[in-house]
Amino acid sequence: MKKKCTLKMVLYELRNLNGNLMPHFFGIIFPNLMCLLLPRAVASGLPADIQQKVTDSIMLSMAIVIPMSIMFLGYGAVYAQEVERGIPLRMRLFGFEEKSAIMAKVFAHLILLTIAFVIFAFFQMAVTKVSVPAVSSFLCLVISLYLIGVILLVISHALANLFKKFSIVFGVEMGIYFLMIILCGMMGIKTSALPNVMQKIAAAFPMTYIANEFADFWQGGTYQFMPFIQSFLFMGAIAGILLLFSLYKDKRTVK
Amino acid sequence: MLMTIKQMRVKYGEQTALHINEPIAFEKGERIGVIGSNGAGKTTMVNALLGLIPYEGRVITQLTPEQMAVHMQQNEYVTTVPVKCIMETILNTKIKEDEKLKELIAFFDFEDCLKKRYNTLSGGQKQKFTIIMVMMQNAELTFYDEVTSGLDFETRQKLMEKLVEWYKDKDDTLVIISHYYEELEQMADKILILDQGNVVAYGKKEELFETYCGKAVFLLENTPENRRLSQGIRMLKSADHQLALSCRDEREEEELAAVLIKNNVDFKRSHSDIEMIFINAREQFYEKQGGMKA
Repeated sequence: MKKKCTLKMVLYELRNLNGNLMPHFFGIIFPNLMCLLLPRAVASGLPADIQQKVTDSIMLSMAIVIPMSIMFLGYGAVYAQEVERGIPLRMRLFGFEEKSAIMAKVFAHLILLTIAFVIFAFFQMAVTKVSVPAVSSFLCLVISLYLIGVILLVISHALANLFKKFSIVFGVEMGIYFLMIILCGMMGIKTSALPNVMQKIAAAFPMTYIANEFADFWQGGTYQFMPFIQSFLFMGAIAGILLLFSLYKDKRTVK
Repeated sequence: MLMTIKQMRVKYGEQTALHINEPIAFEKGERIGVIGSNGAGKTTMVNALLGLIPYEGRVITQLTPEQMAVHMQQNEYVTTVPVKCIMETILNTKIKEDEKLKELIAFFDFEDCLKKRYNTLSGGQKQKFTIIMVMMQNAELTFYDEVTSGLDFETRQKLMEKLVEWYKDKDDTLVIISHYYEELEQMADKILILDQGNVVAYGKKEELFETYCGKAVFLLENTPENRRLSQGIRMLKSADHQLALSCRDEREEEELAAVLIKNNVDFKRSHSDIEMIFINAREQFYEKQGGMKA
């Protein structure tokens, strides 16, 4: 009998996730630490109104780092080790569908992501003095971050299933992670300052718009959402294709 | 008929890892022992039947891959949570509320391991852990792929005793892969012999014995005196240290036994020795193939 995703499975995945410290470090400690240090290093000496914008911008960049670290790099590191040891295969042989397994992992990671966001929000309010956002901007950011997280987890899952070896998966994901950080303007260089080709690639990532443009309407105003939505559709399609291909490759058939 | 394998061929690159020409059928309730040297195609066959690797040919069955259970050679689990948590999650149950699970845990003396992490279990405990969960699957067809490999002699014996005892009087269909003849003697009623990807023989233990060894076999030490006494008696292929004498009927058996007793020779008589079936079936298979390999 095929086994469906249950609350027990989600709790099991959550306990499993908490047994690995990588997502916690890169998804919780690192972004908060950077939000504390970077504004002092980058914004000191600037006029007060610019300082505030730089602080908001850094906060937005670090907010994106949270799903990227937890759902992409952290997930990939943990799951690739499981794949290499044959644990997902063992679960499938016990009747767990791939769909149920990935759903349980997504829910468990969304719980950790939520905890990371709550800690991050409290930290921003208490320590880094970020501007109070407009409700619509805040909701837009939160929904976008969750969506980015889910898409990245799906990509990470598919890559691990395709490459099988932890060393390869981790290397590939580290490369993609840093590429995304550079292209999306989270390394201190604005995307607009990058060469044309790189700007075009960066336009395919929703993170680019959050890191470069969201600070402008953080406290309200208008925003042209179409390129942002298109980037979601593009990244979502890539994730879907990769996942379907990885599932097809691992399909069990008795003919 | 639970499953029939027809014209199966599994290739790894250019190399054929398994080739089943004649149909092989598993009936409900049968205990099929699969034996063969390393690289014979035993695990390849299980992987193909479970739908884990591609193959040519057909497997005729009503079973879906999820209706088959398997204890693989290597079974790995996460090490971040206690095995109790893994067990309850995989089986979607609670140990204290599940009578059958409680019975199995007690039967395999696994109570003290429940709070441990998988990586801290001993080899035997790891095997027991998977066995319990495989048994809880209540599958129509269960594969045990070298369930005792890597275990010391005593642990292996105890584990097999437990398995034999558990399945006694049950009608589960089992496919047991093993390198140990005595394990198959305890568990299997049919034997599938594989060698270098070929099916050497398949059938009921007794029938195969009669085909390849005769009615009974007398095993004695390979000494000059015993070789002299054995002259004129049909000799089977066996391990170098022993002589295997085949008897076609009861009269031959009685005559041979009388000679051996008279000459004070220690011997062992068997009418179902799987090692003898394996050695002689393989010998005859390659003889028929033109002495390609022995």
